[in-house]
Amino acid sequence: MRRKASLVLLAFAVFFAALAPLVRWYAFPRLAKIPPSEYQTAVLEARPATLLDYATMKPRTVPKVSIVQTLRGNVGAARTVGKETGRDVVVWDALSYIQGPDGKMVSRIPERYVFDAHSQDPVHAGGEHVDGDAVRREGIEYKWPFLTEKRDYRYFDAQTRTSAPIHYKGTRNFRGLSVYYFEQTIPWTKVPLPKTMPVDGVTPETVRKAGTSRWYTTKRMFWVEPTTGAPVNGQEIHREELRGGTLLGGRDRVTVFSGHVKMREDYIAHTVKMVSSQRQLVLAFTTYLPWGFGVLGAGLLSVALLLEARSRKPGESSPGPRRRLVNLRPRVPS
Amino acid sequence: MRALAAAAIGLAAALALVFTVTAIGAPGGTTSPEPLLTTVPEHP
Repeated sequence: MRRKASLVLLAFAVFFAALAPLVRWYAFPRLAKIPPSEYQTAVLEARPATLLDYATMKPRTVPKVSIVQTLRGNVGAARTVGKETGRDVVVWDALSYIQGPDGKMVSRIPERYVFDAHSQDPVHAGGEHVDGDAVRREGIEYKWPFLTEKRDYRYFDAQTRTSAPIHYKGTRNFRGLSVYYFEQTIPWTKVPLPKTMPVDGVTPETVRKAGTSRWYTTKRMFWVEPTTGAPVNGQEIHREELRGGTLLGGRDRVTVFSGHVKMREDYIAHTVKMVSSQRQLVLAFTTYLPWGFGVLGAGLLSVALLLEARSRKPGESSPGPRRRLVNLRPRVPS
Repeated sequence: MRALAAAAIGLAAALALVFTVTAIGAPGGTTSPEPLLTTVPEHP
């Protein structure tokens, strides 16, 4: 009976011992993925901000400018690109909508971002674009990979349509979470005019024909929870100018926007709460289950060996001789 | 010999479980009907 039990325990010990590395190194990369149907919004604000008044073509200080970012997973497009590329991909249709203090649109930039569901590597298919311009992203955008490392990454800048390093600047504590702080500075760069301008009758073509160009610089900051790779806070010190041409009334440059953009407090709290719970799921695959299964496997193996040892008498290696001894016992006459 | 068989059964069960779960994967879901926002939401 003990021998049977020890064999069953041995089978379970091997089962759990094998599960430990399988969960961490085989199941985790295949199961930890961004869902293709993800829908997220974020609101950022610059208080106060400098905004160009297109009626007077003079910059003015306003109490608040809001930036609404929406990310919507396009499941149908993800399936199509997945079939084309043979990879598990996510397609995000995104919109950055900037609203002035009067509620009117300042800017709206649509994007399509296609990336690998687990590694976050960009996938060059499915019509990735920024404001209708085809782009070829390198590096990451919006989110870092699972198990983010303490190193620099390449981060895609939608305004310049190029990727540049975003530097790891240390580990910080943010609302009780240990996060990695990243920073990227984009120097003054000439960038395309938005396809949708905030004033009726003004198009990118009319601005270009006037010889005026748009320039931009930003310092981008992210606080990233490293287990999930999700930013829990983001800020930008963002400046835009129009330069040159006949539109500026003799001036060589005019500020279009200037402000320190910060995530709205309720969105920070919401994001921290969401990331804290998702972090536990990722930790289950990378830490809790592998270690738990490993310890359980070792424990069961110990019990199996103990039972096996107890089932044997000292000096005996198999039950065969014992049976023979029983058979040779003299019979007692009745 | 019996011990080897027991270990093989345990290993096969672990492999079968992990391969099955990863093959099934997570459900894909559907595209959210929510719009790309052009107004500032009051709360998340």
